[in-house]
Amino acid sequence: MEGLLKLSRRIDALTERIGALVLWLVLAAVLISAANAVARKVFDIGSNAFLEIQWYLFAAIFLLGAGYTMLRQGHVKIDVILGRFSKRTQIKVEIFGIVCFLFPFVIQVIRLVWPIVVQAYASGELSENAGGLLRWPVYALIPTGFALLGLQGVSELIKRIGFLMGRCDDPTHPVQQESAEEELAEEIRRRQVAPEVVGMVEAADDLANDARGRGQRP
Amino acid sequence: MIEFLQANLAPVMFAGLIVFLLLGYSVAFSLAACGLFFGYFGVELGLLPESLLHALPLRMIGILKNDTLLAIPFFTFMGLILERSGMAEDLLDTVGQLFGPIRGGLAYATVFVGAMLAATTGVVAASVISMGLISLPIMLRYGYDRRLASGVIAASGTLAQIIPPSLVLIVIADQLGRSVGDLYAGAFIPGFVLTLLYAGWVLAVTLVKPAAAPALPLEARTIREPDGSPGMRSVLVLFLLAVGGAVLFAQTRPAETPKDELIVVSMCVGIGIAFALAVLNRVAKLHLLSRMAERVTFVLIPPLALIFLVLGTIFLGIATPTEGGAMGAVGALVMASSRRRLSIKLMKQAMEATMKLSSFVLFILLGATVFSLTFQGVDGPRWVEHLLTSLPGGQIGFLIVVNLLVFVLAFFLDFFELAFIIIPLLGPVAEKMGVDLVWFGVVLAVNMQTSFMHPPFGFALFYLRSVAPHQKHVDHVTKKEIAPVTTGQIYWGAVPFVVIQVIMIGLVIAFPALVTGGLVKQQEVDLDTLQIEAAPSDYGSGDEAARPPAQEAAPGDAGKEGAATAPEAPNKEQEEDPAKALLEEMAKEKKK
Repeated sequence: MEGLLKLSRRIDALTERIGALVLWLVLAAVLISAANAVARKVFDIGSNAFLEIQWYLFAAIFLLGAGYTMLRQGHVKIDVILGRFSKRTQIKVEIFGIVCFLFPFVIQVIRLVWPIVVQAYASGELSENAGGLLRWPVYALIPTGFALLGLQGVSELIKRIGFLMGRCDDPTHPVQQESAEEELAEEIRRRQVAPEVVGMVEAADDLANDARGRGQRP
Repeated sequence: MIEFLQANLAPVMFAGLIVFLLLGYSVAFSLAACGLFFGYFGVELGLLPESLLHALPLRMIGILKNDTLLAIPFFTFMGLILERSGMAEDLLDTVGQLFGPIRGGLAYATVFVGAMLAATTGVVAASVISMGLISLPIMLRYGYDRRLASGVIAASGTLAQIIPPSLVLIVIADQLGRSVGDLYAGAFIPGFVLTLLYAGWVLAVTLVKPAAAPALPLEARTIREPDGSPGMRSVLVLFLLAVGGAVLFAQTRPAETPKDELIVVSMCVGIGIAFALAVLNRVAKLHLLSRMAERVTFVLIPPLALIFLVLGTIFLGIATPTEGGAMGAVGALVMASSRRRLSIKLMKQAMEATMKLSSFVLFILLGATVFSLTFQGVDGPRWVEHLLTSLPGGQIGFLIVVNLLVFVLAFFLDFFELAFIIIPLLGPVAEKMGVDLVWFGVVLAVNMQTSFMHPPFGFALFYLRSVAPHQKHVDHVTKKEIAPVTTGQIYWGAVPFVVIQVIMIGLVIAFPALVTGGLVKQQEVDLDTLQIEAAPSDYGSGDEAARPPAQEAAPGDAGKEGAATAPEAPNKEQEEDPAKALLEEMAKEKKK
């Protein structure tokens, strides 16, 4: 078991690192798409290669990010019923889900899509648009993304079995930074308490001196 | 046994789906597993062809190529950056001060800012958290009824679901095979009416029970002139100047200018005038404008500019929703950095959240694709159709039952699941019954919006609960003790707004013109009679004639086609040649 848990930690680290890289593709997609739009409207130029890179990037984001999303418990669940059961029962159901739902899906998709990737690679399939891109890299993202997802699934499985055996912490609540919502709330709270004081001082200041006409709060 | 299954595999599979989903494992994988399980089952029993799953790779590749869905990460990223840019706080503070002096003013400000945030950030959680932390304490401090205060915040937060650029509408458009632009245009007026209904409810409460929403007392009005006057006259004058400028500008435009273009461009002119005056006043130290007028202008301009950049260009057909989303995301980055709120950490957080959302949404779609492949194999769509077409009452009966169904399901499923599982089943039936799919989509969007404020699972209520005071505390301004907001108050506060929502669903069903008669119809009325006859038949039914080319144009070459037609579309040519104008209008329509 110790070896397996070590493997699971390795997988988590790998997934973590891939996620940290893939997230930059979001920025790349935003910038490229905005540049495309401006180029098309303002300069009336466009390139199919650049239009296609948009969805290549999108595919890379959600496929390569799938394992990371799983690590962060990001694939939503319907827990109206399951939420009422004990933690151990929930973990058992998740083990069932990983083995019986996730793995067959991953294996099927890889099995079905792989030949198409090979074929596209062999034939050098190109986009039907003039100046378009080679197709196999984007096709290859599907089996790659699913493989990463499956790998993370293995890690999640190990962690859950480890939890049932009392060998590791609750894997559904990983030690994690606070959520984006919590952080937003924290930031507003921090500014809200101070500004009220600041606002009143500001108003008094203005009344006492002259209207400096400050448009916005710093 | 086999015969029973043969005849009833579709209903059995649907029941199986419910079991798979309620089990509580990730929706995306449960959907796929359900499809795979029944697929193998069917093949083993000889009910389904063995080649069933071979269509899967092509469908998956089709999802990758889908340009529409690309707008999802862009709008998500834009919202995440904006929610941390401090825009919401400035808006709430300033608009609260602006409306504060009237009875119910803080509640109106919440509704108004909620609508503005909906049109920019479009994130329910962020709107509710911001309003719950900024407006709620002020409302509590000055004695607002707790149910009204929490209800109005939760409801205004959910406006993000119906007012464009909402993600729900993108997904619905994709699933119904309609353009996102059409759904955005269709949802615009219902979203606006809904905002008015919320404000109307606040008005009704203040009339019946004035104590429930008192005006801000004098000492709480912080934006005042040196002599203590509120400076409202200046706001009014500036507002009138801007409106006057916009109307004057509108009248100088050629009469043939399409109405939507006219409205958007004139609004821009009006906003520009107000902004220019405020800047002039500040730079030249003229002291002609009150602090309030200046503050309101400077706070409102950035979000309005962003709304124009994104929604204006989409409505005008200048940009596709995907391009609009990308421009909006860049605009959000610019705005956040100009407010010195942009950091690498924030960028990384926003990108990470965007990646996770894209991944979970698209995986639900992938899972749903596996499910629907098998479901089609077992003739499920026909079963659903029989089930729904046999309902009494024709179209209206169908709509009522469907809406009841979605309303109930919304208690358990969130809108992405509803959109990917239920809509593909309902869409074809609706089309067969002659229901306009854009209208249908908007009705469902208004309906799904309620899922955010249903007690007890509504997301908006959950987020409000997390930021509303849990304990008795002493207010640091008035030094009075303030009781906590109870969960019951939050739940009961949402109830009137859920009722408003149901009324709105009824209104949209009863008056389809709210959706289909939006900006598009108005512009048709203004054009020649010839066009009135020609254009609606292509648009309104939105069917065979118009669709195939629109879909072909959707992938890569949409860009080039748009580039050829869109820039020429405005003014000059239209004056001379109505037929050409019509063609261009249609091209624009398609592109949207």
